[in-house]
Amino acid sequence: MSKILTVVKREYFQMVRSKGFIIGTVLGPVLMAGIILIPMVLSMVSVENQEDIAVVDESRAIYPGLETKLDMKLKDGRLRYRLEEIDPQGNIEEILSGLNKKVLAKELSAYLYIPAAVEEEGAAEFVSLHVADFDKTRLINEALNNVVIEKRLRSEGLDPEKISAYTRGVRLTTKKVTKQGAEEDVGGTFLIAYVLVLILYMTLIFYGSIIMRGVIEEKNSRMVEIVLSSLKPFQLMTGKILGIAAVGLTQYGIWALFGMGLSQYGGRLMTGIVPSAAGIRFPTIPVYIFIFFVVFFILGYLLYGTVYAAIGSMVNSEKEAQQLMMPVTMFLVIPILLMMYVIRSPEGSLSVVLSLIPLFAPILMLLRVCILLPPPVQIAGSIVLLMLSIVLMIWIAAKIYRVGILMYGKRPRFGEVLKWMKYK
Amino acid sequence: MNALELESVTKRFGEFFAVKELSCKVAAGGIYSLLGPNGAGKTTTIRMVMNIIIPDSGSIRVFGQSMNENMKREIGYLPEDRGLYPKMKVGELLMFLAALKSVKRAEARQKINIWLERFELVEWKNKKVEELSKGMQQKIQFIATVIHSPRLIILDEPFSGLDPVNTKLMKDIMREMKAEGKTIIFSTHRMEQVEMISDDICLINKGRMVLEGPLHRIKTEYGKNTVILEYEGDASAVSGQPEVEKIDDYGKFMEIKLREGADPQALLQKMVDRIRISKFEIQEPTLNAIFIDKVEERR
Repeated sequence: MSKILTVVKREYFQMVRSKGFIIGTVLGPVLMAGIILIPMVLSMVSVENQEDIAVVDESRAIYPGLETKLDMKLKDGRLRYRLEEIDPQGNIEEILSGLNKKVLAKELSAYLYIPAAVEEEGAAEFVSLHVADFDKTRLINEALNNVVIEKRLRSEGLDPEKISAYTRGVRLTTKKVTKQGAEEDVGGTFLIAYVLVLILYMTLIFYGSIIMRGVIEEKNSRMVEIVLSSLKPFQLMTGKILGIAAVGLTQYGIWALFGMGLSQYGGRLMTGIVPSAAGIRFPTIPVYIFIFFVVFFILGYLLYGTVYAAIGSMVNSEKEAQQLMMPVTMFLVIPILLMMYVIRSPEGSLSVVLSLIPLFAPILMLLRVCILLPPPVQIAGSIVLLMLSIVLMIWIAAKIYRVGILMYGKRPRFGEVLKWMKYK
Repeated sequence: MNALELESVTKRFGEFFAVKELSCKVAAGGIYSLLGPNGAGKTTTIRMVMNIIIPDSGSIRVFGQSMNENMKREIGYLPEDRGLYPKMKVGELLMFLAALKSVKRAEARQKINIWLERFELVEWKNKKVEELSKGMQQKIQFIATVIHSPRLIILDEPFSGLDPVNTKLMKDIMREMKAEGKTIIFSTHRMEQVEMISDDICLINKGRMVLEGPLHRIKTEYGKNTVILEYEGDASAVSGQPEVEKIDDYGKFMEIKLREGADPQALLQKMVDRIRISKFEIQEPTLNAIFIDKVEERR
């Protein structure tokens, strides 16, 4: 036992002190925060310029209404859109081509051409240098729509205000039932599930390959037999897997602290940077989800880590390992592909069965826990099945590992590996 | 007491017998060499002694006890395939290996310093292994082998890759350890190293023991039937002589095995006219000759 601990300590401290770990651990959350925060911040501080827009109103009835509808102010109090009515008298083609030139010369940011028959045909043109600012075109389109619809209604003798009151829609809020009662859900559940499952998926592959690389390095540097003069192959393998697990948990711990800090103070922090961001809600994550996240990480890690250790022992280089890793990675990719299905029907019998299969359980059961807490029996069942398969996998891997780490040269065929398991 | 006893140890990999019915005894306090051509089963035998691989049948006893994990503490093992974690600092790596042998930290620190000093590697203690030359790394590997003061030291091909200076250093240390009462087992396929330091030898080939016993006794048993001839000229006529059973011709130097009862004097007389002889010596066969003889006999 103390020998395993010695190996664990070596793996842990070698890893934790490495530049890669420090950079990954610090940069990870910074990147994550960046991915979440930067778009939020950017959407808040959208670039605001005053824009000159010419309006050619052939119908001569729309412009006044449009001017009132588009009477929007920038933060500094100036008008957002400075509208200028162009007299449509004369050759319309000439007027428009004159405006085209002005837009090209950037004297105008855009112009709006409203044909005489706008009420009947319901068509107008908005011309500008670039039309990718959907926000702007939407605003103008809406304003134009409203003016034209109001006009149509009025000409039929109807009161637009009453009509809009009659046709007002119904607001649907989604709520999630918990033991505490119904709570408003702002799409947070879905987001949390998605993020946690992806983190689990990535870290399982990441730490799995670290174990594998460690075994290959031990083999290639010919260190392994020197170490085996003091302990059993099994102790070496176990020490390695546990040591790297400790590294993973350390990293998770740091990230979790960071995440909790973000969900506690993130809103306030952002308000400090961008005052208009006040009111952004960071989803709060229930504690039990964190606990299950760590539980399924540990179990998934032990299962896949053991497989990766066995693979590492069979090969001589990472290149050789790629081939063998493919099928293992597939077992991690399949649940990711099934995610959408499980989110839609977390209680469906297919979801239940899939989330009990040990190789899929870490990802799919965690997903189900996030979406809709499954019956305790199912959670316990998946955990027990996972534990049993971990024991089985360690037993198999140990048998492969003890032979594999002393084999150099040609990569063994599958049949040979089976033979190894029969060695005394 | 015997430091090591093997009793009809057998190890099979699939259909291939790596070691078959091997029995031998290593007396405590001597230098014992395990000889054999490549693939004879030396490394497999040693790995079984180290409990790294488990024999299919037979028993292995170390200092009278059945080999088990705890006995690893009594043994220092330098494998043939050896290397060090390249990214670790020398001092830390030795501390790690000492900890695996359950050496107390303070004691380990002290011993590491003594050994590093002995090998003139003190200033490398805080350097990473990958910065060391190959020769330095081999010294570190040796320190790792003896850091826990084992009673039995097993060295698999200890001289491979060593330059003459370090080979001498290694032999000196082996003799020193013998003087301290430790038992040393080493394997090699280079005979000249064996002759200089071994007390007992065990020759194995194709997984079976071919010859075992004290080196001096084996050589006497073979008798003084060998002539070492140093010469210049065309010595092809030697092989045709009735006195000669077998020759190993190296160009300027020749080891001649005589037929039983043949008179070396007669051979010398015949040869003096044909070639320039600078040395003609009647002696016991070299281990190399015995080795080749024995290995070829089995084929």
